[in-house]
Amino acid sequence: MRRINAFSLTLKQQLAGAAIAAPALAIVTLLFVYPFLRSLQSSFRSQEGVWTLDNYSEALSIYGGDYLYTLWICGVSLVALIIITAIIGGLLRLGVYPLLEFIFKIPLFVPFVVVGHAMRVFLAPHGTLNSALSITGMFNPDILPSFAFSSLGLVAALVWKNLGIGLLLMLGAFRSVNESMLEAARGMGAGKMKLIWHFLVPMNKGSVGVMAVLTFTSMLGSFSIPAMIGNAGGSQMIMMDLYHQIVYQQNYGVANAIGVLTYIASLGAAIYYLKGVTKK
Amino acid sequence: MSKPLEVALLSAPMSERGPWFSTLRLTRRFAIYAISIFMIFGPLSSLLLWSVAEKWFWPNPFPTQWGFKYWQQAFEGKMLSSLGLSFGIAIVVSIICLVITVPLAYVIARNRIPLKHIVLLIFLLPQAFPQLPVFSNVMVLMYRWDLVGTLTGLILIHLVGALVFSLWTLVSVFQSIAEPLEEASYMLGGSRIYTFFHVVLPIALPGIIASTLLVFLYSLDEFTGSLLIGAPYHITMPVFMYNAAGGYEMQVASVTSVLLMIPGILLLFLLQKYMRSEYLAAFGRV
Repeated sequence: MRRINAFSLTLKQQLAGAAIAAPALAIVTLLFVYPFLRSLQSSFRSQEGVWTLDNYSEALSIYGGDYLYTLWICGVSLVALIIITAIIGGLLRLGVYPLLEFIFKIPLFVPFVVVGHAMRVFLAPHGTLNSALSITGMFNPDILPSFAFSSLGLVAALVWKNLGIGLLLMLGAFRSVNESMLEAARGMGAGKMKLIWHFLVPMNKGSVGVMAVLTFTSMLGSFSIPAMIGNAGGSQMIMMDLYHQIVYQQNYGVANAIGVLTYIASLGAAIYYLKGVTKK
Repeated sequence: MSKPLEVALLSAPMSERGPWFSTLRLTRRFAIYAISIFMIFGPLSSLLLWSVAEKWFWPNPFPTQWGFKYWQQAFEGKMLSSLGLSFGIAIVVSIICLVITVPLAYVIARNRIPLKHIVLLIFLLPQAFPQLPVFSNVMVLMYRWDLVGTLTGLILIHLVGALVFSLWTLVSVFQSIAEPLEEASYMLGGSRIYTFFHVVLPIALPGIIASTLLVFLYSLDEFTGSLLIGAPYHITMPVFMYNAAGGYEMQVASVTSVLLMIPGILLLFLLQKYMRSEYLAAFGRV
């Protein structure tokens, strides 16, 4: 088969390729790469234009707690997501559950803002979940806790939104596992849960890791979910602080320092992508 | 799942362990479905309930007074213009994406582009880093270029995410098409342009349609950029919903969320067979 690689391109082909790439490259470079670099630069500059680390010390002293809180929330959400998707993915891989896959694909198609609002309505002190619980008559409706506006509400919304993508990646990996291996384990008397946690998950460590990195970054960068759920005082997600600094304080130095801190936390995904590209 | 395994699963252990075991198995299966349905539909059904609740006094388990008052109100008020704006922008963004990224994704998939790795790297960044910190700097730039609060600005900010997303799905679409088919066309004297339009494009069409619809959904749901660049002059549906929920207009926000959900759910139902998992895998990351 005749392979055309980058080195054997004629000048005409190179020009054609460059012309095709130009519009998309221009938009993404001008409206993402350039502002991205500007945010790096601005984070090291004071409002008078002097190079300094003050923005970082200010960002860390005011928002250091929120930064850790954000990482904590994303970490907890990630663990919950991995447990849920591994169990569902395992059940789908090991048994016949029509409709289950379809049901769990739904979150992928529900917008982030809607998820935030839905969780708020569902988990609020007088929300639908508490109403439903009080119908059963087992709980006193007035002492039921409120989960919305709390860490649990955030975790629930972040996990819910990522169920679709998480399951998709998990199931893709599980389906590539050799059938005879599982049958051998089953022959030895392993139950479904044992098969999932002792075979399927460890055998797909790489894919589970990829899924973890991708969803962690998406959770970290999520702005609409914390914006919709809000908080009841106390710590809040770092993206809300960043928004506050820009819109109300208009302190871009500190805002960009916060931004760079979130870039650092997202580096896992960036490194994974880079590895993928260099492999190709 | 393979047939022999199913048979093995369903027949062998059950006959050995007696009828109580199959009851247990059924109960477990029922529990799995019940929990899953509750997890996914619980929050969504709350939205539906709230959207038709005219009055809802705590602790009544269901709305005290049902009705479509807020639906009517929503359709008479500003929401309608937000709905129109969101759909309009989503259509424009999808078309621009289609025109720009289909040829680009093809040349990338066939290695016919100089500096391919650098080009790909540029298109990776928006996927790998959070949007808000970058978009807030875009806002500063757009103030300088007089684009904040304009439709052009709004479309451009939607395009950043949409182009990247569209490119990634389309590259995987074109990579899945066997190259020998094109080689055959060249052998028979077809030009590159002819081959692209008569051989590649027809095969890629289902993938291109799926990708375009996902871009449409992305633009419809875009929140961060719309809030920073478009508001308060051009309010898209997600921003409208954010404002309504912020003002504790629960019903209006719920009506808006139900409307925002419909296109996605419709696509999910209609396009099951086109939605290959590799397209969706790119989608979830945005």
